[in-house]
Amino acid sequence: MKTLIIHCWHAMASIRLTIILCILLTLNAAWGYFCLHGNASLYMPMNDMGLIPWAKTYGRSSLLLTAWFFLLLFLLALLVCNTFTCTTDRVYRLLRAGKTTSPMCLAFKLAPHLMHYALIIILAGYLCSYLFSQVLTGQTLVPGTHLSLPGAKGQVTFTSFAPEYYQGQRLDFFTDHILTPRAHLLLSSENSTREAILTATRPVRFQGYTLHMIDFAPKSLGGMNMPTRIDLHIRKDPGVFLYLSGMALFSIGLLFYVCEWILLKEVNKQSV
Amino acid sequence: MKMSTLFLPLTAILLILGLCACDGNRSATDDGTRPAFLQIGEFAVNRLSAERIDVRDGAGRTLVLIPRDAPMPTGVDPNRVVRIPVERVVAYGYFEVATLLALGVLDETLVGVTTPQDRWYIPEVRRGMEEGRIAFIGDASAIDFERLKLQQPELVLTWDPSIIPLLNTLNIPVVVTTTPQAMCLGARMSFVKFLAPFFHREQEAEAFFNRIDDTLRDIRARTAAAPQQPKVMWGDVYEKRVMVEPGNSWVGELVGLAQSNYQFRDIFGASCIEISVERFLYSGQDADILFTYRDRKSGATSKEALGRLNALIKDIAPLKPEGRVYAPLPHYHQSGDKLDEILFEISAILHPELYPGYRLRYFDELPDTDPVITKDSAYDHF
Repeated sequence: MKTLIIHCWHAMASIRLTIILCILLTLNAAWGYFCLHGNASLYMPMNDMGLIPWAKTYGRSSLLLTAWFFLLLFLLALLVCNTFTCTTDRVYRLLRAGKTTSPMCLAFKLAPHLMHYALIIILAGYLCSYLFSQVLTGQTLVPGTHLSLPGAKGQVTFTSFAPEYYQGQRLDFFTDHILTPRAHLLLSSENSTREAILTATRPVRFQGYTLHMIDFAPKSLGGMNMPTRIDLHIRKDPGVFLYLSGMALFSIGLLFYVCEWILLKEVNKQSV
Repeated sequence: MKMSTLFLPLTAILLILGLCACDGNRSATDDGTRPAFLQIGEFAVNRLSAERIDVRDGAGRTLVLIPRDAPMPTGVDPNRVVRIPVERVVAYGYFEVATLLALGVLDETLVGVTTPQDRWYIPEVRRGMEEGRIAFIGDASAIDFERLKLQQPELVLTWDPSIIPLLNTLNIPVVVTTTPQAMCLGARMSFVKFLAPFFHREQEAEAFFNRIDDTLRDIRARTAAAPQQPKVMWGDVYEKRVMVEPGNSWVGELVGLAQSNYQFRDIFGASCIEISVERFLYSGQDADILFTYRDRKSGATSKEALGRLNALIKDIAPLKPEGRVYAPLPHYHQSGDKLDEILFEISAILHPELYPGYRLRYFDELPDTDPVITKDSAYDHF
C-alpha cells in the first residue's frame, strides 16, 4: 500500500504531467472559446446560483456546450494535485538542504514555491465561492425604499441617486450620459447607522454581505423617462478571504523572487 | 510517466460526460414530454416536481410556481411565489399581451394594461376594455397603483423593474419580461414556453413554437439559393441618439438566416442599443434596406421626410432612390402572436424575387417623397 502511495505521489509530481496538462488546458480553452461564443447566457447564472445547481440545470441540459467546462474543472483539479505534489517534493528537499544555508537564502529559494502554493489557494478560493456563496439576485430599490438582509438584523435604505454625468466635449454622443452611478445608502444595524456610497465598480460591505450594483436607471438625462432605480445583487462569499489570502501570499513570493533576481544581478555584475 | 497512463482518466471523464449527456436527454417530467429544465435565452423554467416549478425571469430573479391550493413553501420570499394557474394578470407591454393571446388566455386572465383603449389593435383587448374587464392602469411611467390594486392582479408582467418595491408592498408578484441582452431568435420564439407554466398552457406554447419553427424552415429552404444577399440595417437616428438592433437580436439572426447581411451583426448587447452616429452612417454607405423604428405617426412617411427629420442620414444608401426603407405599420408591435407571419414578411422584403405577389401586412415601404395632396385629390379623399 505504501509503495502504491509513493508511486502515485511520484507520478502526480511529474513535470511531464504538468506540461501535458498545460497543453490539454490550452486545447480545452480553445474548445471553450467556441462554446462560449454567443452562449454567454448559459454560463452567467453560475455567478448567482453556484456551481452545483448550475451543473444540475444549465450544465446538464446543454452538455454539448458545457462539456468543455466540466473537463476544465477536471484538468484544473489534476493541475492543482500536480502542482501541490511537485512543489511539496521540492520544498521538502530545499528544507532538508536548508540546514546548511542562511535563512534569507532559503527564503529566496522558497519564493517560487510560495507562489505555487498561493495559486492553489486562489483556485480553492474561487471553488469555494462558486460552491458556498449565498446570492440574493434582482433586489431592486427605488429612492426611499429599503431591504432587509437575510439572517442579519441590518437594513439597507436607498436614500438618493447622485450620478456623475459626462461633461466633456470630445464625445458628443456621450453628452449627458451617466459615467458614475452613485447611490447613497443608509445602512442601519441594531447599534449604529452609517451612510455609504455604492457605485457600479465599488461594492459596499455590510454585516458580512457585499452589495453590488448590477444595473441602474435612468442611464442619461433626457431620452426615455425612466424612473430612478438600482438593481442589486447581495452576496455572502466565504471564498473572498481565501483568494485574497492567496493573492497576498503570491505577492510575498513574487517580492522575494524579484529581490533574489536583483541581488543575483548585482552579484553577477561584481563578479564580471 | 507514460502518456497512456494520463489518457486513461481522461477517457474515463469523457465516458462519464457521455453518460450524463444520455441521462440529461432523459430528464423529463413524469409525462415524459416536457424537459425538466428549459433555458430560453436568459429565462429558465425548472420543473422540480409536480407541485413546484422554479422560473428565472429576465432580471435573474427566481420565482416559485405552486398550485393554487398548495401550502406556502418555506424559505421563499412570499412575493416570489406565484399560484398557478394564474387567473388575473396585468401586462405592461404589447409583447406580453401578444404572448397571452398566443397562449389563448388573454380573454380569461388579462385585467390591466398600460395603453389606453384607442391605441389597441387587438380586438380582444379593445372588447375587454369596453366591457370593463380590462382596465387602463395609467401610462407605464405614471402607473395609478390604486387602480392597479382595484384590479386585484395575481401577477404583473413588466419590463420595468422599478415597480417591484411598490408591488412587493402590495404583495403582488412581478415577472420582468425583458433581459439585459437582446432576445435571440430562439428565445423570441420560445418565450411562450416561459409564460406557459403560469397558465398551464404548455401544449398551446408548443404548438406556437412549432408554427414558428415551420416558418423558419420554410424561410431557410426558400432563401437557400437566393441570387442576392441584401445588406440590411434596423434602427433609427433621433435628435441626439442613434438606436439599432444588435447582431445578437432576433432581427439580426433572422436576417442572417434569410441569406442576407446584417450591417450591425458585430454589435452585441441590449435590444434597441445606442451606437454612434458615425457607425450608423458608415454602415449606411452600402446598405440596401433600412427598417426604421418610426411609423407614419412619428414622421416616417417617406425617405425625403426621414431625411428632413435628420439631415445627417439623408445620404445613406437606403434613402437614395435605389434603396428601400420600411416602416412598421401601427399594429406591428401588437402582433407578437403572429410572429410566423412577421418573420415570413421580413424574408419576403429581403428577397422579393422569391416571394412573387406577396403583399405587405406589417410593414410599409416608404416612397421617395411624400405624396402631394392637391385640392382635387383632397376632395377625392372625402
